[in-house]
Amino acid sequence: MQRILDIALNDLRIIFKDRSIWINLVILPIVISVAVGYANGAGFTGGSVSLRVDVFDADAGAMSAQFLDAMRAGNANLVLCPMDQTAADLCQLGEEALTAELAQTRLEDKVSLATLEIPAGFGAALARGEAVSLIYRSNEDATAPSYILQAVQSAATRLSGAQIAVQVGGQVADSLSFLQFSDDADRVAFLEEIRGRAEEGWAADLITVETVQAALDPAATQTNGGGGFAQSIPGIASMYVMFTVLPAASAFILERKNWTLQRLATLPISRAQILGGKLLARFVMGMIQYAVLFGFGALALGVTFGSQPLTMLPVMIAYTACVTALALALTTFITTDMQAQGITLFMSLTLAPLGGAWWPLEIVPEWMRVIGHISPIAWAMDAYREIIFYGGGIGDVIVPIAVLLAATAALFAIGVARFRFSK
Amino acid sequence: MQETLVQVRGLSKQFKRDNGETFFAVKDVTLEIRRGEIFSLLGPNGAGKTTTISMISGLLTPTQGDALIGGNSITKNPLAAKKMLGVVPQDIALYPTLSARQNLEFFGKMHGLGGKTLNQAVDEVLDLIDLGDREKDKVDNFSGGMKRRVNIGIGMLHKPQLIYMDEPTVGIDPQNRRRILDTVLRLRDELKMTVLYTSHLMEEVQEISDRVGIIDHGQMIALGTVGELIQKVGEEDRLILKVGEQPVAEPLLRRIESEVATATRAQYERREIANGDSGALAAAEGILTVYATRGRRALPDIIRLANETGVDILSVEVREPDLEAVFLHLTGRALRD
Ligand SMILES: Nc1ncnc2c1ncn2[C@@H]1O[C@H](COP(=O)(O)OP(=O)(O)O)[C@@H](O)[C@H]1O
Ligand SMILES: [Mg+2]
Repeated sequence: MQRILDIALNDLRIIFKDRSIWINLVILPIVISVAVGYANGAGFTGGSVSLRVDVFDADAGAMSAQFLDAMRAGNANLVLCPMDQTAADLCQLGEEALTAELAQTRLEDKVSLATLEIPAGFGAALARGEAVSLIYRSNEDATAPSYILQAVQSAATRLSGAQIAVQVGGQVADSLSFLQFSDDADRVAFLEEIRGRAEEGWAADLITVETVQAALDPAATQTNGGGGFAQSIPGIASMYVMFTVLPAASAFILERKNWTLQRLATLPISRAQILGGKLLARFVMGMIQYAVLFGFGALALGVTFGSQPLTMLPVMIAYTACVTALALALTTFITTDMQAQGITLFMSLTLAPLGGAWWPLEIVPEWMRVIGHISPIAWAMDAYREIIFYGGGIGDVIVPIAVLLAATAALFAIGVARFRFSK
Repeated sequence: MQETLVQVRGLSKQFKRDNGETFFAVKDVTLEIRRGEIFSLLGPNGAGKTTTISMISGLLTPTQGDALIGGNSITKNPLAAKKMLGVVPQDIALYPTLSARQNLEFFGKMHGLGGKTLNQAVDEVLDLIDLGDREKDKVDNFSGGMKRRVNIGIGMLHKPQLIYMDEPTVGIDPQNRRRILDTVLRLRDELKMTVLYTSHLMEEVQEISDRVGIIDHGQMIALGTVGELIQKVGEEDRLILKVGEQPVAEPLLRRIESEVATATRAQYERREIANGDSGALAAAEGILTVYATRGRRALPDIIRLANETGVDILSVEVREPDLEAVFLHLTGRALRD
């Protein structure tokens, strides 16, 4: 073990002798992850989500306005378009008027998350105590809890509750002999008072609405659509782990050329110790790379990595081990430094975007997502996103970790079987 | 009778050429190295010296055969065998960006040295290779000779009983070469080490070796002390007479062989000397070689016969029997070809 550590430390010393390592280890990955973070939407949503809902209010009465207010009260992140349009184009409508066709396109493009149609005569029907239906359309996953639908339902409950109170109150008042209305207007005013009181009562009791807001994960709020730094930090870090670890192939070729690898083979140490030491050095480089970027993300960008960030450590270890084994396996298929540099660059630049290092795989077509999983980055990103966006724990990332470790074992076996100390 | 330290038995190594066919770089080599001696492998480039050393130092696996080092098989018990060894590879095997001291320290650690012992060993070696004042400089900035010295120093850092030195003087100026040869002699005489030395230069092998194995095309073609080997070619001196562009006819050679009392053989060889860059023929050089016992005495007669046939002798060199002659005798080729 001592020999393995000595070899690893010697390699690290050699790696860090070259000052330019800091450019690749710190400066470039930070610059790129910040840039990619912005490209993925960081800074635009600014820490809170806009849940855009396109509304067609055919009633345009006091009652429908009340209904929309109740919805807004139900979820502070709701933006009802076009009513809530701002100068900053919060509705992303520009100068356009909202039509049924446009709403459909917006829904498909996920500009809006839902549409709501309030029929004409909504207020009148309610006043008569008749049932009315609203039409709610969304492209959300039917199995996932919808924050918008909850707001709509709570508004509906609230308004119909108030209406019931008005009707019941009216009937009760009519049957009470001592309550005499001077005229019809007087009666309407009385009923309106009941409605107001009832609404206040409902409002004070809007527990469901409070729950909706409490259930919103702060990390999820911050990164609507899975963008921003919480995507770019693990993505770019994983890509840069490749950039730092795969040059092991070059280093092996160089050591063979310098004959130091052959000299090591004549020393009273086993080949397992030599390979172990050299791979350990590269593995450590990969983990340093992760530490640099996640540290920067947490401290400088204020990214929060889910509710159990320590769960990311086994993912980092499994992924870095996998890339280290990949480097060893690649080494056995090449003979020159040029080939080594070429294959390193090629591997990193195909496996990174394929595996979702640059953008979340959620936005690519299904078949690309499947193909993407030949990249170890895809499995690592699955795990990071589970932890960061959905508050996953170790139980939720067992599969990607197991896949990465299995690939590590396979690549390592290939590498060890084919590795030669001399040309 | 000295103790045998290294025993090499029927060692062979097969390689594949680029065109796919296989060949033996080393074929059925058997030899013994005795404790306390300098044993040299002498052979031209490509003879199989490095391949042999690589197999008996655990770098290459032999195709056939084995070597025992202090009784430990290099193939079956490599760690025990390698513990006794110091290896100085033909290629300079150093980490170029590390300093001389850092290189020595790292390889010392690999031999299990540490702490004070390591420091002391490194100091001693730096002293021995005369680089104490440059120990902190990175070896990349060293001259070829200095790198060679560090390369050698690493091989003897842990004071092994046995050291392999593969062409340690290759590509080195005469001053550094002398120094290295003196170091090799000190290893045997003062530190009582056993040395396996390889070279394609017969002068140095002849000077330092107790015993020599001559290797050619992967095979051991002669083995013994320098004296024993030279006896193979007899006591004859070799007279090398340069005659320039003049042609030498067969009758002169026959007359020298029959009329000069001590001469046994006469040969003529014409070499064309191409002009370096253009490749155009610049000159031809004729060499008349005569083998004769007590060659200096035969010289006047040879010169007289040459003059009679109108051949001018431009220069004369008398070579007493040496390993070069042995190689020539055994292979019909010069060592440096
Ligand atoms: N790894 C190898 N693959 C193929 N041929 C090799 C290899 N190593 C050496 N050779 C060939 O084997 C022969 C012996 O080489 P080597 O042992 O280096 O000779 P020497 O050290 O005496 O100059 C040469 O023809 C060389 O080209
Ligand atoms: Mg050689």
